[in-house]
Amino acid sequence: MTAAAYVEDVLLVDRCLTGEPAATRELFRRHKQRVHACLYRVLGSNRDMDDLLQEAFLQVFQSLRGWRAEASLATWIDRVSVRVAYRYLSQRGRRVEAVALIDDEAGPATEAGPGARRQLARDGIKRLYAALDELSAASRLAFTLHEIDGRSLAETAELVGSSVTATKLRVWRARKRIETAAAKDPVLREFLQPGGELIAFDKEAP
Amino acid sequence: MKLVGRVPVQPLSEERMTHIERGVVAGAAEAAARGRARAPRHSLGFAVAAMAGIVVGVLGWRLLASAPVASPVVAEAAPIHVHTDAQRSTLDIGDATIQSDPLTAFVVTRPDGGVLVDLARGKVELQVGKRGSRPPLVVRAGDTDVIVVGTHFTVDYGDGTGEVDVRVTEGVVKVVRHHETLRVAAGSAFRTPRGVIALADAGPALSATIASAHHTDGGGAVASGTDTGAGGTVALADPQTAGSGSITTPLGDGPDVLHDRTSHVPDPHVPPQQHPGAGSGTARTQGGARSGAKLHGLEKPGDPAADLKSRIRAQPVEPASDIGEPDPQRARSKYLDIAAHTTGDEASRAFYSMAVIQATKLGRTGDALDTLDRYLRRFPGGKEYTAALWLRVRILCLRELDDRCRQAAYTYLHQAPKGDAKAMDLAGDITHSD
Repeated sequence: MTAAAYVEDVLLVDRCLTGEPAATRELFRRHKQRVHACLYRVLGSNRDMDDLLQEAFLQVFQSLRGWRAEASLATWIDRVSVRVAYRYLSQRGRRVEAVALIDDEAGPATEAGPGARRQLARDGIKRLYAALDELSAASRLAFTLHEIDGRSLAETAELVGSSVTATKLRVWRARKRIETAAAKDPVLREFLQPGGELIAFDKEAP
Repeated sequence: MKLVGRVPVQPLSEERMTHIERGVVAGAAEAAARGRARAPRHSLGFAVAAMAGIVVGVLGWRLLASAPVASPVVAEAAPIHVHTDAQRSTLDIGDATIQSDPLTAFVVTRPDGGVLVDLARGKVELQVGKRGSRPPLVVRAGDTDVIVVGTHFTVDYGDGTGEVDVRVTEGVVKVVRHHETLRVAAGSAFRTPRGVIALADAGPALSATIASAHHTDGGGAVASGTDTGAGGTVALADPQTAGSGSITTPLGDGPDVLHDRTSHVPDPHVPPQQHPGAGSGTARTQGGARSGAKLHGLEKPGDPAADLKSRIRAQPVEPASDIGEPDPQRARSKYLDIAAHTTGDEASRAFYSMAVIQATKLGRTGDALDTLDRYLRRFPGGKEYTAALWLRVRILCLRELDDRCRQAAYTYLHQAPKGDAKAMDLAGDITHSD
């Protein structure tokens, strides 16, 4: 993070603390994509995303005075967002989303071609998140932040407020559970193969 | 298992994102409208507050946090009744922060756009921002009104039946009692119906102010006098002698005021001694203040803590750059603007200056501490680094000579070895204070 960006953050926060709506909007717009992406990768869908994003940012603004500039503003916002996600996952319970996500219980697509591979990848993602629904909120967060969102173990540990060792253990356990699920599910197994299909969403799904 | 980049994010539609943004902006504005964004929630603090059974607010908010970290409560227009039990509490009403000691009761109302803090008993400490053209903030303790334009002070009303003690840390307050008015400036204090006043190191303007004060207890002998300079001054007025001697503004029945410009501060519990060197109005003493007079939680005059605070206050603190803006609010905005659009030394000066303005002109010491924390992280090699460390010491130690203050002084000693000699001496004394 550059010094200029840091000062910019500090000044933006100062403006937000005075209740300036333009500053509030600016902060939201700067960070909304990243927070949304993070929450999406944790949850696997945009279901309830409106409420979650709003809740995350409201939490940010309500506790903005508590930002001591020890971490970058982005990291601090991510931490708040992860807490919101954790609360959501804990309250929602397990296996609720799985039913909604897995709308196709058929086996892997047999036809070759880009369309079929893309469909396969989509199915794989659904099954992955169905498997993640079986995990505890803490394990799911650790796994998704590290394995899907691509954050380091140290960063993940900081975001979830645990030690690196505990985080590593959670990721390891989650991985074992996913591998167990994959052993029984050819679609998931295929999806987890290295070099799998990358899907690009360019518009919002209905 | 390589999943990074394998789960694409489905973007939200513009419409949904706009809807979310509206909700967020409205929610943030609501929080700001209550005064300030709330401090982070300390669930433990709330739990402790709940267990303590503290009742705050009939129509307003109720909260009492465990000392020393008292969570701010945001006030509404409805009257706010505060009764503290065994804990200190902090009430943030947006344009002022009111800290109250244990066993304090007061009500906050907003008559005609002003603020009235009606103190039934106990002690409150107020940090009031500049009110500009708005009606003033008034603290009423019995028959005494303390009128504030923007300052930092305490009002101690004891058990709600006796004396009122007002101590001003920054700025000036007007004390009105029995239709008489007295100005009490930073560094001095006021007590009814007679008593002390005077902490050290007030400037000439203050002594002029003090000279206009006088004594209310008709039976009590008092002294009248004028400032004779650095050699030590007592300026007291006696209604019975008003119009003679050196009394500049006889006010009828009013409080006693004693001002000593040396670091010696008389103990109100001890009959005052004749002050050598005082001019035409050398103090004539009387039996002294009422026995049993108490100063809740305040450093007693003559207490080394009071002397230390006076020395801290006397250490000058100035913005690092002069932008020629007399209005502190606008000055703060200008410094903010400079800090936003510059880098290096210029940004460092502006950042630090902003903290100085917040602390010394706007009375927003909490904000100033936040700004300083950020400054110290952002500009570890900044030219104002040492000054920023000292400002932190000043703010914390003028609040309370506690562990946090001593820690700040210790940090100053060790991180600013080339600091101002007087400040270094003071920091040393602070670290060794009890």
